[in-house]
Amino acid sequence: MDHATWPTGTLVVLLSILILYKIFSARLGKSLFIRRIPGLNAIDEAVGRATEMGRPMVFVPGIGGLSLPTLQALSILKYITGIAAKYRTRIIVPTIDSVVYTVAEEIMKDAYAAHGTPEQFNPDDIRYLSDDQFAFASGVVGILNREKAASNFMFGYFAAEALILAETGHQVGAIQIAGTPSVLQIPFFITAADYTIIGDEFYAASAYLSREPTLLGSLVGQDYAKALLILIILAGIITVSLPPMHFHGWLSFLNHLPDWVKWFQ
Amino acid sequence: MFTRFLIKPGAPQWLWVLGVLGDFLIFGGILFGLLQLVPVRFRRPLIVALTFIAGLIYSVEFFYPADPKTQMNFLTPLRIKLGEATKVVYAFALGLGTFNLIRFHGGNVIRNRAGWFYSLVFFISFFAMAGAGFWSYYCPSRAAENTYNMLFEGIVASLGATMFSTIGFYIVSAAYRAFRIRSAEATLMLLAAFIVMVGQVPVGAYITSGLPEVGPLRNLRLENLSYWILSQPNMAAQRGIWFGIEVGALAMALRQWLSLERGSFFEREL
Repeated sequence: MDHATWPTGTLVVLLSILILYKIFSARLGKSLFIRRIPGLNAIDEAVGRATEMGRPMVFVPGIGGLSLPTLQALSILKYITGIAAKYRTRIIVPTIDSVVYTVAEEIMKDAYAAHGTPEQFNPDDIRYLSDDQFAFASGVVGILNREKAASNFMFGYFAAEALILAETGHQVGAIQIAGTPSVLQIPFFITAADYTIIGDEFYAASAYLSREPTLLGSLVGQDYAKALLILIILAGIITVSLPPMHFHGWLSFLNHLPDWVKWFQ
Repeated sequence: MFTRFLIKPGAPQWLWVLGVLGDFLIFGGILFGLLQLVPVRFRRPLIVALTFIAGLIYSVEFFYPADPKTQMNFLTPLRIKLGEATKVVYAFALGLGTFNLIRFHGGNVIRNRAGWFYSLVFFISFFAMAGAGFWSYYCPSRAAENTYNMLFEGIVASLGATMFSTIGFYIVSAAYRAFRIRSAEATLMLLAAFIVMVGQVPVGAYITSGLPEVGPLRNLRLENLSYWILSQPNMAAQRGIWFGIEVGALAMALRQWLSLERGSFFEREL
């Protein structure tokens, strides 16, 4: 693993302070506004559709290990399982990673118990398929086809199998909601899925769904952090675009701007 | 740990395997027992503290300047050891995954559910592959190696490649649907995709070969247009998405490290 350079360290600490500040101010009761994310609003619709059709839903938590994208996917799984428990709709969770399998099983068991329907939990609906990428993909394709899934959720880290899963979901007529931090797979999901959660919306999902103050604060903190990054980028653009200039008097601090920008590079 | 003291170097491999398993059973048992002894109200603070310490080790290791020669600092050896310990936890979880597979497919075969035949195929494949793996590892011979290669290269790798190659067909069907949508965005995407795809192949360069290679008109050559789309607007959009993703990941990492993300995974408290 690489080690941080001083500029990287400074930037990470600055961004962290911004995010933590907004988290703690939200915990103190400050009201925060977050915009509407259509993909996440559609989750309830997708569960409702599966309930009406009497067909199961499939939730794929990606092909990553127990990393940040998978944790985010699992928090969405918890939310969906909660609604599925309410409407008594079956949800199948195929996993590629044995650790994710065990955590997903506990999350689902807990979610069903929390909604007063522990008997609805079926251990056979959480399946460890294979740790091989394409063996896993063919397993999920098989489940989607055999079970005639009404809804297909794909959240987490995905690679080449993204399009295979999304196209199969489309072929079986499932309503599909996908979200991944994998930039290369986002176009495939946009093309094949009904709703796609793009970029930072993926990490905003748990905040958006739970409306928990800590998470909402974190979401607003992320926006502040991005605003800071935009300012740094703008400063970079200005310094490399303008001809060399020399300022006098109180503006003389601007003479050092190119050095500051270079420091961050 | 004790294995190193009890088992001499050069002892048979199975003895080492037994020793390591014994180590984990003893130490795992002690750790589990100690956790059970902790009063319920202290369990959460204990987990929060452990999470914080573990995150702190990784954070300090990342931020503390490394020796330029070795690219390591005083915490790097500990970080490597922790990584190895994580692999052991993963190995145990793999056992749980395998148990799940056997339980699910065993249930299918015993209860004669629809598609039980495929579950039988799973058992045959599972034991054939495991048997060939152990055979070639513990009793190396030409026959063992050939059997393993035939199963792995001939079947597993080929099936993986087949699955991968289906993406080509899926790209066509997905692209057809995307381009069929009559909207301004879809038209723009179609146009950009056409220029990028044609600009990547020799016929694209041939179509606009009449345009000069120098001067402002060279920008209209398809290969240059294709390169511009990929390296300018496309790259800018990708980097914009990356910024958002990385900041989101940082926020989530902070929430996990400081145990601020309560209720996102489990309803009940420990």
